[in-house]
Amino acid sequence: MVDGISDKEIANKGITRRSFTLGMILASFAVAFGSLLAMLRVLAPEKKGGGYVTSIQPGDALVYARGGNAGASIVASSMKAGDAVLAYPLGKSSNPANLVQLIKLDESAIKPPTDISLTDKGFVAYSAICTHLGCTVSWVANVETPDASFTECYCHNSVFNPAEGAKVMGGPAPIPLSQVGVKVSQDGTLAFTSDFNGPIGPQV
Amino acid sequence: MIFKWLDERLELRKFKEKFLSKTFPTHPTFLLGETALFSFVALVITGIFLGFLYEPSTRMVSLFGALVPAAYASVVRIDLLPMGLIIRRIHHWSAMIMIAAILAHLMRIYFTSAYRKPREINWLVGLSLWGMAMVAAFTGYLLPYSQFSVTATSIAYYMAKSVPWIGDWISRLLFAGEFPSDGTVPRFFFMHVMLIPAALIGLISLHMLILIKQKHTEPGFNRDRREAQGGRRLIGIPIWPEQGVISLSFFLLLLFVIVLMATYIPLNPIETYGPPSPGTPLMRPDWYFLVIYGFLKLVPGDLIFTVLGGKITPETIGGVIFPASNFIAYALIPFLDRSKDPQHYMSNPLRRPFMTSLGVGAIVFLCMMVVAGYIDVLHITPKDMIIYALVATAVVWSISYVLLRSYNRKRGDSAKA
Repeated sequence: MVDGISDKEIANKGITRRSFTLGMILASFAVAFGSLLAMLRVLAPEKKGGGYVTSIQPGDALVYARGGNAGASIVASSMKAGDAVLAYPLGKSSNPANLVQLIKLDESAIKPPTDISLTDKGFVAYSAICTHLGCTVSWVANVETPDASFTECYCHNSVFNPAEGAKVMGGPAPIPLSQVGVKVSQDGTLAFTSDFNGPIGPQV
Repeated sequence: MIFKWLDERLELRKFKEKFLSKTFPTHPTFLLGETALFSFVALVITGIFLGFLYEPSTRMVSLFGALVPAAYASVVRIDLLPMGLIIRRIHHWSAMIMIAAILAHLMRIYFTSAYRKPREINWLVGLSLWGMAMVAAFTGYLLPYSQFSVTATSIAYYMAKSVPWIGDWISRLLFAGEFPSDGTVPRFFFMHVMLIPAALIGLISLHMLILIKQKHTEPGFNRDRREAQGGRRLIGIPIWPEQGVISLSFFLLLLFVIVLMATYIPLNPIETYGPPSPGTPLMRPDWYFLVIYGFLKLVPGDLIFTVLGGKITPETIGGVIFPASNFIAYALIPFLDRSKDPQHYMSNPLRRPFMTSLGVGAIVFLCMMVVAGYIDVLHITPKDMIIYALVATAVVWSISYVLLRSYNRKRGDSAKA
């Protein structure tokens, strides 16, 4: 007997003052700590703008991205067919989305789906950010047959063909690299003529 | 004298009788788990040293006239200290050996069916320890903030981001915003030196407590010895002094090997990688990530589809679904094993044709994924590599199964399972 209720009644109801109190304590703990989950929102900072945001303006000069002459303008005559360099728009190297691979090809080798209007005198430029997992792509030069050179990401061996709109030739990359317009200026240096024609980096 | 003083207050004698005299069964493979434990001790000790000197920040500072991130500069300064480079290498080598020991330990448990009832819980705790050790290793990748660090972390950022439905939020939570951002290094530092070690210590304690409660699976030959003695007692040696002396000597031996490797085998030369810069050189992850690394190379790029609004990409398949399904499969092993009787002895792997050949097949598959990590130097196309991997797995699995079956048939029913 507890407080005039028979043990049998308690057994039937399956709920006692003790179990009720315990349940309430547990529920209070659940509410107290559960409410902390809202803080997870604070721990994940808001998006800056949803992935890579480029800031290339037509007319920006192309400069070397690395090496001894990093930051210096790229002169068209310094590159022959089959050469490639990493380049940034002048003064905008702090944004990694702006990194491009500038390639000089044999003008006749450039085929669709390359946007020919974005090329000039065999110069063609693509985003250097691999569309698989965001590494920077490299240039695999073929000295004997420059046309057989290709772009490869050394991280997981995605291969892109720059003569055909950087379409994926092999490996895990799902989409081609985006093209960006370049032209040779009056003074022989290279300049951008447009922003990228597609998305930059992994589309996950 | 001190012992007597302490004993009067802490009842040490009682503790010795009750705990230190416990029987510890002996088998060489029982040292695999200890290897992992002692490597962890080495990691903690060297980690404390490194923690005093490391600066978790990406602000730019001057180092020999060049502007580099403070984290990178602080690690270069550690390398220049007397013994500094050795300590850092011991830390790195211990991590490699710890994960190797965990895997060897896991294989030992699998092949001797020591995961069976009543040890399913400890199997799961052990798997969590493995996962946690990998996360600990991974968060350590970023801290030197070299070109290698940033490349590896960037890859993992996109893998996290490729999780269907919640990937965007998960990646921002783990990496403190979109990578690269200045928040990532402090957050990884906190996880690497505080959160994950705390979780590891908690899990290791739980692992040991359950082990003490349930005891080891005994070597099979103990069965006959015990029957000869007619007793029910565990056969082995006392924890102290016999097992303790073995363990302490083994710890010293392990430290010797680690220090030897750290002295002569360079690894993670951050001065060679340099601070973060445009351009990704050819680099491969540490050995325990090679399986995922190789698998990522084999997923065809055009494999994109949507499931219930969640986008599945090659990144998702290689970086999320493959590792997750591996862990889930391993976690399910004790619950799918058909034997339900409590297991007190280690099984003879030769007596379990199905499970042993399955394990051997899985190991061959994972090794082929490591080979897949090297398709660029082996000049194999991903499509060919997939075929080689599947054929090798199928051949080894079926041949080992057939061989084991015929071996058991020859031995006849004298086998005791």
